[in-house]
Amino acid sequence: MNIQKVNVCMDILKKDLGEGFIASCIIMTEDGQVLVATDQANIAEATLLNDATAFIRNALKTYPAELGQYYYVDVAGTMAVLVIPFGDYQWTVTVNKKQVKLGLLLNVVLPAIINAFEDAVVS
Amino acid sequence: MGGDVQKDFKLIIDNEEMSNVSAPEAATKEELQRWPLFGLSVGSFLQVIAMEQQTCIMEVYLNTNNTGHFCFVEGELYDAVCGSLTGEDAAMEMIAWENVRLNIKQILNTSSVDRKIDKNLMLLMMESSRRRDEVQENGEHADLEMEDVETLEDAEVVADDVERTKLDTCLNLMSKDMGDALRAASIINMNDGKVMAFYNDDPDTAQSFMRLTTYMKTTYSSETPFELGDHLIIDLKDQQTLVILMIDEYQWNIIFNNVKCSLGMLRNIIMPKVIRTFNEMNVG
Repeated sequence: MNIQKVNVCMDILKKDLGEGFIASCIIMTEDGQVLVATDQANIAEATLLNDATAFIRNALKTYPAELGQYYYVDVAGTMAVLVIPFGDYQWTVTVNKKQVKLGLLLNVVLPAIINAFEDAVVS
Repeated sequence: MGGDVQKDFKLIIDNEEMSNVSAPEAATKEELQRWPLFGLSVGSFLQVIAMEQQTCIMEVYLNTNNTGHFCFVEGELYDAVCGSLTGEDAAMEMIAWENVRLNIKQILNTSSVDRKIDKNLMLLMMESSRRRDEVQENGEHADLEMEDVETLEDAEVVADDVERTKLDTCLNLMSKDMGDALRAASIINMNDGKVMAFYNDDPDTAQSFMRLTTYMKTTYSSETPFELGDHLIIDLKDQQTLVILMIDEYQWNIIFNNVKCSLGMLRNIIMPKVIRTFNEMNVG
């Protein structure tokens, strides 16, 4: 993984989300250790969402379906969390849902950061 | 309301088989021939016609002073006439009638049929039921079905059934609006875990999704300073999306094809309409 490129990913995120950006964090899915986190990142939440991803994958087996590229968690109040599992890594992005439109987040920001992150991982 | 009514509908109940069912006392032989169907409630017949998507007129006879008819086009209730009442008012009046006689006629030409009723049939029936309950509470009616409910458990079962009917109506509405984009849906009561309604889904999946939200809620409230909000959006493989909504005591699980129906369409058009329908049914 290219750390500089990962930092570029974070910069893209901050730039695209503007004031709606709250925090972001990338962890290793295997042990929940943090690789990169911004100042306001809630590490505990990011780690818990790592377990949540496993729970979701398991719950979907009943339907049956498989988890795709992301999931979005509405949090009471003004926050929401976008979770992007990338195999060995999981990226959480916390936004102010009052300031970031869901369409922008899912249709513009998400594809951009997925491409950037994939590039960072293979580098 | 127009439309050419040209021949009797083929569904005729054999009156001899119904000999144990008491027909309205005042019915003459002519009246019996004119309205040959009896023994089922108006509501039951209306639902059958809607379900079978029939285009027909259903004539209703309570007594010589109270007759009327409903007009259906492809299962949609277009109009009703009852004395001086028309449209929703007429429909509401007749839905409440009991011990009626009925006749059904096909409409072969619907070009001149004007639609005067836009409300969903189930909504009309709920509204009629609510009005009837109000009348009962005021002591104006004595012989209504709730009198048979003797225990609290029975009352809960009835309330449960009413709620299930409402939620089924919501899922049917959703299915109608989304077409084959809707892959599966279920509604579960978060208080007791009962699966209230489902479409192309099974109770196990609904329960599994409820365990997921329970886990998320518990985790959020115990391990973070935050609380889980009222929805989750989960991207699935094969162009599918799972949306989980927690509204009051119900959790709605909706799996749909996100190419045939966008998330924006579901969130901004379809769900508000479904929720509005559900709320209208609750308000009456």
